[in-house]
Amino acid sequence: MRIPLALFLLSLALAPAQQPAPPGAGLEVIALRPDFHVIAGAGANISVQSGTDGLILVDSGMADRSEAVLAAVRGISQRPIRFVINTTADAEHVNGNAKIAGAGESLTPASRSLLATGASIIAHENVLTRMSAPTGKQPPFPLELWPTETFFRKQKNMYLNHEGIQIQWQPAAHTDGDTIVYFRRSDVIAVGDLIDTRHFPMIDTARGGSIGGEIGALNRLVEMAIPSTPLLGQEVGTYVVPGHGRVMDQPDVVEYRDMVTIVRDVIADLMKKGQTLEQIQQSDPAKSYATRYGAASGNGTARNFIESIYVSLSKARQ
Amino acid sequence: MQRRILQLLFAVLIGRSLLPAQVDLAGNWTARLHQDWAERGPGPEIVDYLGLPINEAARAKALSYSASELALPEKQCLLYPPTYLHYGPFGIKMWTESDAATDKVIAWKMSGPSDLAVMTIWMDGRPHPSENAPHPFEGFTTGVWNGNTLTTTTTHFKGGYLRRNGVPVSDQAVLTRHFMRHGNTLTIEAFIQDAVYLTEPLRVTRSWELDPAAEMASQPYHCSPEAEVPRLDGEGTVPHILPGQNENAGEVTRMYNLPLETVMGGAETMYPEYRKRLKDKYKAPVKCLRYCCGWEGGAPTASIQCVGVGYSTPDAPFGRAF
Repeated sequence: MRIPLALFLLSLALAPAQQPAPPGAGLEVIALRPDFHVIAGAGANISVQSGTDGLILVDSGMADRSEAVLAAVRGISQRPIRFVINTTADAEHVNGNAKIAGAGESLTPASRSLLATGASIIAHENVLTRMSAPTGKQPPFPLELWPTETFFRKQKNMYLNHEGIQIQWQPAAHTDGDTIVYFRRSDVIAVGDLIDTRHFPMIDTARGGSIGGEIGALNRLVEMAIPSTPLLGQEVGTYVVPGHGRVMDQPDVVEYRDMVTIVRDVIADLMKKGQTLEQIQQSDPAKSYATRYGAASGNGTARNFIESIYVSLSKARQ
Repeated sequence: MQRRILQLLFAVLIGRSLLPAQVDLAGNWTARLHQDWAERGPGPEIVDYLGLPINEAARAKALSYSASELALPEKQCLLYPPTYLHYGPFGIKMWTESDAATDKVIAWKMSGPSDLAVMTIWMDGRPHPSENAPHPFEGFTTGVWNGNTLTTTTTHFKGGYLRRNGVPVSDQAVLTRHFMRHGNTLTIEAFIQDAVYLTEPLRVTRSWELDPAAEMASQPYHCSPEAEVPRLDGEGTVPHILPGQNENAGEVTRMYNLPLETVMGGAETMYPEYRKRLKDKYKAPVKCLRYCCGWEGGAPTASIQCVGVGYSTPDAPFGRAF
């Protein structure tokens, strides 16, 4: 259709002096593959797989960024959001569930589901357990954020947008409900809070996390992700999307795995020598990595990491 | 106008363009190993951090390094970070990629060492990626000409070894290089800034010589990892040395009489003034046991008794370097 010149000039005259903020302002959209994107800046990283079947999102970010996330998603594809997969029950991964899933459309017919007004929210059963509460008690998260589909086996499979999608439970790692989501054709693995490339991993022993589970999950990732061999210079291979921080590949996961394993080994050696937690803290067993991964405050500090390993190893000894 | 015509006439007479000069860096360049040959050739001593402005974290990480980690399949095909060009022995090959329509140089490409990724130096003014972008081995590099010097900035590379004995450089480091050609000599001055592991920028200058006949490693580099012997220490083991248990920490002191604090490096060991501090502490060894008279031998000096040539010292208790 051709726009008449007068109408075009009129539209220019009426245009606002300042351009409106672009969709998804404040967020960054990184294209890893033609049909696979990562949205950064909404709390946790959000992975977006797109295709004719609709959109599959891994994690939903913080609620106050949901409008920007939806704008960024619309910039990727106009197809409906079908699934939101929560890799963990942490707030920055699930707080956007209501708005993001609410803007979508479930593949499950409404007649077969009480909650099928928006996209389905999938998570391991332990995520729902951590987000909800027994009858009569105040749940940590409101009902509208809860997963609508849970699973309790080690893996849940789907086949959407012409690729296999495996949601794999990683028992007792960051928490007891972590999953990694493997998009087989895109060759991308979204790993949630198993990895935070900015900081030491947060191993939440109070919610079922453990250093053994964390290292086990990292070693599985090292095996699943394929580096650029035998042609090293090509710099291709499996992408790994961490819960926080930059996009990785297999050698990056190896580096992170090494860091976690070596700090664990140093602490285990000190515990074998009978040192207390305070003595171990003073000997600075994470010294080699503190300037790279130590957060100034919060969960990712060296002190918290050391304590979580100590508690975890103490539990394992009992 | 007259001045412009005179410039044009002068340019025609001497056959040169009026465009800003861009020195041609294309070609095969072989490394001149007279600088730090012992480190760049056979390799550094296992624990020798002298001359590196490392912090406590870097020192602790280097002391925990075990070469056994290279036996892990996932470690066998890792490439070095781009900083390693200045610590390795290899030559480099440089060429340009140009816009087909305008012939304008879009990028310089640099390859050569088989264990370094091919580097693209973008000359078209594109910005560096965000902090969320992936870090390939070669990083992301942009370049700009300052007169006859090509200045490049590299970010987004992977962490790795700064020195081949486990001294680390992080994925947060920034590498600034100045490429300067003088006749058939190419000098590259590098500044390595790394807030994670260095207390001061590390400056290193190396030279290469134009050699059209030089054979360069083929790219892309082929590597197929394989575990050739069964692991005895269990799946998931990461070889490393626990704090305080590095048996090689005193080797340089035993061999060269250098104080241990000197061997441990730090910013002050980079500067010539540091020698004054050692003046009363240092006593040259009676016998030099390794790397005494050059890699391939050479004339012994009056002050050092050479017991063999180069790295081959038949009566040295430490044996050959490789």
